[in-house]
Amino acid sequence: MKTTTWLSIFPSTIQELLGKLHPTVLARIEEIRVRQERPLEVNYQGQFHYVNYRGELTDMPGEGYLPTREDGNRLLDFITNHSLYTMEEELRKGYITIHGGHRIGLTGRAVLTKGHVDHIRDITSFNIRIARELKGVGEPILPQLLDFRQHSVQHTLILSPPQHGKTTLIRDLARLISGGQWMHAEAKWKGLKVGIVDERSEIAGCLKGVPSFDVGPRTDVLDGCPKAEGMMMMIRSMSPDVMLVDEIGRPEDADAIREALHAGIRVIATAHGSELEDVLRRPVLNKLISDELFQTYVVLHRSSKGTVNRLYDAKRRLLHPLAAGVKGGSYHA
Amino acid sequence: MLKLIGAILVLVSGTLFGFYQAAQFANRPKQIRQFILAMQRLETEILYGFTPLADALLKIGQQLSDPLRTIFNEAAHRLTDRTNVTAQESWQQSVEEHWKHTAMKQNEKQIIHQFGFTLGTSDRNDQIKHIRLAVNQLQHEEAAARDDQSRYEKMCKSLGLLAGALIVILIY
Repeated sequence: MKTTTWLSIFPSTIQELLGKLHPTVLARIEEIRVRQERPLEVNYQGQFHYVNYRGELTDMPGEGYLPTREDGNRLLDFITNHSLYTMEEELRKGYITIHGGHRIGLTGRAVLTKGHVDHIRDITSFNIRIARELKGVGEPILPQLLDFRQHSVQHTLILSPPQHGKTTLIRDLARLISGGQWMHAEAKWKGLKVGIVDERSEIAGCLKGVPSFDVGPRTDVLDGCPKAEGMMMMIRSMSPDVMLVDEIGRPEDADAIREALHAGIRVIATAHGSELEDVLRRPVLNKLISDELFQTYVVLHRSSKGTVNRLYDAKRRLLHPLAAGVKGGSYHA
Repeated sequence: MLKLIGAILVLVSGTLFGFYQAAQFANRPKQIRQFILAMQRLETEILYGFTPLADALLKIGQQLSDPLRTIFNEAAHRLTDRTNVTAQESWQQSVEEHWKHTAMKQNEKQIIHQFGFTLGTSDRNDQIKHIRLAVNQLQHEEAAARDDQSRYEKMCKSLGLLAGALIVILIY
């Protein structure tokens, strides 16, 4: 059972309550929020509910189970693998990635050294984001990103607001590209070397350097490395054909992307933003976009009906979502 | 004849008991010393190695001899094999369970038990402080134990033999 793997990080009190939830709810939970002395909260499909003492969902905050100090301490002990002292870098950044690629955001009292956050102590709020491997989400999109002339993929920027599946998508793209599953009848070339710079250990969910998720047979993952530096290291050391990075946005990221593009490496990157116009307001991304460095833009949009994706070309013209894929016949496996 | 064998048995067991007590007095400072060294190794693992607690305890356990080895190994195995056990619990339970096999006394146990409360739950600096505090306290106990050793070790040996002899004389 996949669900039980993340349930086991909770102290037995909370584990019991969550275990009583309906399996369909449990299978869809995206976030679990544990706040000391405040009601236990679960989020799924854009909604939130509290969990009461009987392990049922409720919308009344007053009825919710209140995690105790002991619960918080135990949870912290489990998620740090009983060794908080090995997580200083993570505490500086405010989140910990655990086995299975699940990310846990933390807040408490920040301890400053020379005006910078050194670490967090008295941690009382936890946000457990459940990572799910959704194989196949990249299948309808990949055929439209193919570069038939170069037998590769196009430089692509994927945009979406948080929680809309960016990371899941590029994880699946990595799997498809490195496995050579192009989902297109005319694409007959073999899999490519893929490099993932996984700053937050979210794409591959590495544990001790080994990916927890299926990212494909020809994929190298540089885990926990700052993106800009990691991209340069990848270019120098691993000669990837395609490089994947999550959540670009800093000036040094842009420099590294330019470097990669000039080295002949295809880049698939993601950024926060619900529309292309949003992203244009961010100076770093604006420069990359106006220089037409990316050949394709994918904008993810998730509604209650499902995910709707829109594609734009380098000049930011809307492409019909199916236009590119239909050409070679059926692209869906 | 039977009486003589009985008398010899009493004498021998008295002597052995005396020697056993003496050995306890001799082993106590030795084991405290070992524990101090183990704690200092733990400090290195935490400060420079960033080694996760379970691995660190196991590593240290391998370098020790029994009975201390079991305490460290057991604590490590509780952490890796069981879910829903905190570092504090596994440490304290392991100490509780295997303490009787050591020659150490209640004072040392108190220190080591106390140390468990902070084990693994804070940043490196804090961990180091707690380790040093425990080491410091253990060193005090070690000095006391050495005192006891020099005072009582020889006495225990002769006392065992003499007590045996006394019983023999009384019941012969």
